[in-house]
Amino acid sequence: MTIDGLLEKTGWTLLNDGVDTNCEIEGAYCGDLLSWVMGNGMPGQAWITVQVHMNIVAVAQLREFSCILVADGANPPENVVAKAKEEGLPMIATGLPVFESAKKLIELGL
Amino acid sequence: MTPNNICNMALIKGLDLIALTDHNSVRQIPAFAEAAEKCGIRALYGCELQTSEEVHVLGLFARAEDALSLQPWIDERMPGIPNRPDFFGNQLICDAEDRVTGTEERLLLVSLTADLDETIAAIHACGGAAVLAHVLDRENSVTNQLGFIPPALPYDGLEIKSTEEKQRILSSHPWIKEDGTVWLTDSDAHRLIAISEAEQALSEEMLSRLWGGRQ
Repeated sequence: MTIDGLLEKTGWTLLNDGVDTNCEIEGAYCGDLLSWVMGNGMPGQAWITVQVHMNIVAVAQLREFSCILVADGANPPENVVAKAKEEGLPMIATGLPVFESAKKLIELGL
Repeated sequence: MTPNNICNMALIKGLDLIALTDHNSVRQIPAFAEAAEKCGIRALYGCELQTSEEVHVLGLFARAEDALSLQPWIDERMPGIPNRPDFFGNQLICDAEDRVTGTEERLLLVSLTADLDETIAAIHACGGAAVLAHVLDRENSVTNQLGFIPPALPYDGLEIKSTEEKQRILSSHPWIKEDGTVWLTDSDAHRLIAISEAEQALSEEMLSRLWGGRQ
């Protein structure tokens, strides 16, 4: 499933318009301890988190995640969204908690 | 850990400088300041704040009144969860004679609704120095919570446990310069028995660098 496909099927919000969303999602990773995510994430994953600190952009790039899914209504500051856009990293927001977000992805076949 | 017990233990250990940094509170500072003066031990005043990312940051102030000026900011950002003494213990407030005069009802073991940047800014606004606490710890350290110490973060010092830790930080953070940084090593005592011997030293010059031009 591409990010475009995910947005279409879920109605979740792409926070940084203009990034390339025509890329495949290869699984997902749930985690909020950035040191942990840095050690365990895999390329292509959609990263589900409630962390909105600027460091999430660097960590996502480091692990080559396909996108960041900010869950549970967490609200990344504008400068974080802008940084993600600058790096070509899609940042998507959902009001669903982390567990329900993951369930949704599983339902969609990820 | 009453004000006088802390000061007297520090005297027994031969310490020249101590700081009180309660979690998310400066309400104990006035009594501590009085006790430190009575005991004749030099003191700094502050707190250990927990940001929304669960990072611990020390606010260190040379003047007690400056430390106290941070309390309203803290109050506005406390989630207001009631303490559970059966689980977390009592949060007692003492006077300078170690008599219990009150209780902090709100649980102090919480994250404030302020992120790391906002927290550092608030400490600075009150004239304090912001030191990232125990930066390589497995809990509540900036490296554990955020993966690494963000470049351009305007902290004033880094709290470490050893020179080995300093080397680890320098090798994983090329933007951090050894000479450009104030490195603090201290007891981080949560119990009287953990107050250390006088093994670490800090020059006056290094200490004053913590506050830059702010005090």
